[in-house]
Amino acid sequence: MRVTAAAEPRGGLASPATSSARVLRSLRAFPILLPFAALIAVWWAIHATGDFSPQVLVSPLAVWSAFLHLVIHGVMAEYASTSLRMIGFAALLSLAVGVPVGFAVGVNGYAARALEGFLRFLQGISGIAWLPLAIVWFGFTHTTTLVIVIYTLIVPIIFNTMTGVRAIPEEYGLALRSLGASRLRLVKDVYLPGALPSIVVGLRLGMGYGWRALIAAEMLVRKGGLGDLIFGARTFGQIDRIITGMIVIGCLYVVVDRLIVQPIENLTVARWGVLRQ
Amino acid sequence: MPDDMAKSTQNKIVVSGFRHVFETDDGPVQATDRVDLSIRAGEFVTLVGPSGCGKTTLLKALAGFIRPTEGSILCDGATVLGPGRDRGVVFQELAILPWRTVRRNIGHGLEIARVPRAAREATVGRLIELTGLAGFEERYPHELSGGMRQRVAVARTWAADPDVILMDEPFAAVDAMTRLTLQEELVRLCGATGKTVFFITHSVDEAVFLADRVLVMTRRPGRIKAAIDVPGRAAGRDWESFKIDSAMQAIVEQVLRLVREERGATAPAASAAVTK
Ligand SMILES: Nc1ncnc2c1ncn2[C@@H]1O[C@H](COP(=O)(O)OP(=O)(O)O)[C@@H](O)[C@H]1O
Ligand SMILES: [Mg+2]
Repeated sequence: MRVTAAAEPRGGLASPATSSARVLRSLRAFPILLPFAALIAVWWAIHATGDFSPQVLVSPLAVWSAFLHLVIHGVMAEYASTSLRMIGFAALLSLAVGVPVGFAVGVNGYAARALEGFLRFLQGISGIAWLPLAIVWFGFTHTTTLVIVIYTLIVPIIFNTMTGVRAIPEEYGLALRSLGASRLRLVKDVYLPGALPSIVVGLRLGMGYGWRALIAAEMLVRKGGLGDLIFGARTFGQIDRIITGMIVIGCLYVVVDRLIVQPIENLTVARWGVLRQ
Repeated sequence: MPDDMAKSTQNKIVVSGFRHVFETDDGPVQATDRVDLSIRAGEFVTLVGPSGCGKTTLLKALAGFIRPTEGSILCDGATVLGPGRDRGVVFQELAILPWRTVRRNIGHGLEIARVPRAAREATVGRLIELTGLAGFEERYPHELSGGMRQRVAVARTWAADPDVILMDEPFAAVDAMTRLTLQEELVRLCGATGKTVFFITHSVDEAVFLADRVLVMTRRPGRIKAAIDVPGRAAGRDWESFKIDSAMQAIVEQVLRLVREERGATAPAASAAVTK
C-alpha cells in the first residue's frame, strides 16, 4: 500500500502506523487507489495465513522496508534512472526518425499501401523476439537494449504518423497551395498539426510497448536498469527486492504516462478534436 | 454603362478542348470531353450540371491541381502549370484549418506571402467586417456555425487578393436560410472587388442569381452544352426581387430544362437520350 501510495500524487510517505480512518478517507477520495488496496490486502492475508519461507513470499511490510533501504542507499535511483534515461532517449530518437519516415510514407499513397502490411508484420514480431539476434550482434551492451526499445517504439510511431497524415482532408493542402504555399509550408502548417494527435497516440502506444521491452531487455543484458535489478535479486532469492522493483516499474510507467504523455494528448485533442468528428 | 467597364472584352481564362481521364484501379474514367469556355476579366460565371459530370475536375484543372489529359488551359494568356496565388479556391468541404483561429485562417495567405503584420492585420480586419465575423476573431472553426465557417473560407481567399476565384459548391453544406444570406453577401463582395469568379453549384436558382453567365454541362463525360447570359448587374440583386422578376424566372426555367434533360439521360432509359 505504502509503496503504491508513495507514487500517487497525494499519497505521501505515510508511516506504517497510519490510522485506518485516514486510509479509508483517501480511498473514498481516490477510487483509483481501491484496486491497489485490495491487492495488498489479499497479499497480506495470504502471507499471514500461510507459512511461507522468505525465499518464496514476503509481507508488504518487508517490501516496504526493502524499498526504503534501496532508496536510502541510492540503489533505486541508480537503477530507475538508467531505465528512465533509456526510455527517454529511445523515445526522442524514435520521434526524430519515425515521424519523418511516417510522413514520407503517408504522403505517398503507393508507399503507404506497400508498407502497411509490412509494418503490421513487424508489430507482430515483438522487440523481445529480436533479443537473441541483437545479443549476437551487439553483445550484452546498452546498444542491444537501445536497439530493442527503439525498434519497439518506432513502429507504432511510424504507423500512426502515416495514418494521421493520410486522414488529413485533401482540401486542406489544395487550398493552401492555391494560397502559394511551398512544400515546407504545407508540412509545417497542414501535415504536422494535422497529424499531431495521431503522432501522440503512436508515441503513447510506443511508450507502453517500449517500457515493457526495456525491462525484458535489461533482464537479459544485465547492464543496469530495473529489469537488471529484479533479475539480479532472483539470484540471491531476494523476493522483497523483486517485488519492490516490480512495483516501481508499474508506478514509473503510470507516472510517465499520466504526467507527460497524456497531458500532451489532451492538449492536442482539445483543440484538434473536431478533426476526429 | 458601368457594366462594360467591369466586363471588359479581355479574356481572363480560356479553356480549349479540355479532356480529362483519370486512371483508376478499375481502368480509365473519362471525366470531361472537349470542354471549351472562356471567362472575361471581372465576369461571374456559374456552372451547373448533374453530379459526377466533371465540374470539380474542370475546377481542379483551372486551379492547376491536375494537368489536362488533352487540351489547354490559359490564364492571362499563359498555360496553367500549377496552383498559383493568382487563382484562389473555395471548397465546399471546410478547407479552413481547425487548429487556427478565425483571424489566423483568414490571414494565412498573407502570412505565406510574407506580408508584414500590420498590413496583414488591416486586410484581415477589413474582411472580418465585410463578412460579418467581427467578435469571432479568436474563435476556432469548431466553435462556429457552418455558415460562419464558410464565411471564413471565403474571407481567406479574398484576403489573398487573387484575380480569379474558383468556388466549388461553397454553400452546399449550409442550411437554406443561411445560404440565401451568404449568396447576397457574395454578390455584394464581388460587386465591391471586381473579381473574376468561376462558381460551381447544383442549384439552378443559385446559378442564375449569382451569375453574369450560366454554363450548363452535360452528364459525364462533361461538355459545355449551353451558355445563358443573365442581364443586369449581379451586384444589385436580392432574393425578394429576384423571385418576382419574370425575366429572371424565365431564365431559371430555361436552365432548369437544360439540366433536367441531362438528369433524364442518366436515368435507366439512357440509351434513347444518348442517341439524340
Ligand atoms: N481522383 C479521381 N480519381 C478517379 N476518378 C475520379 C477522380 N476524381 C473524379 N473522378 C471521377 O470523375 C468523374 C467526374 O468527377 P467530378 O469532377 O468530381 O464530378 P462533379 O464535380 O461534377 O460531381 C466522376 O465519375 C468521378 O468519379
Ligand atoms: Mg464536385
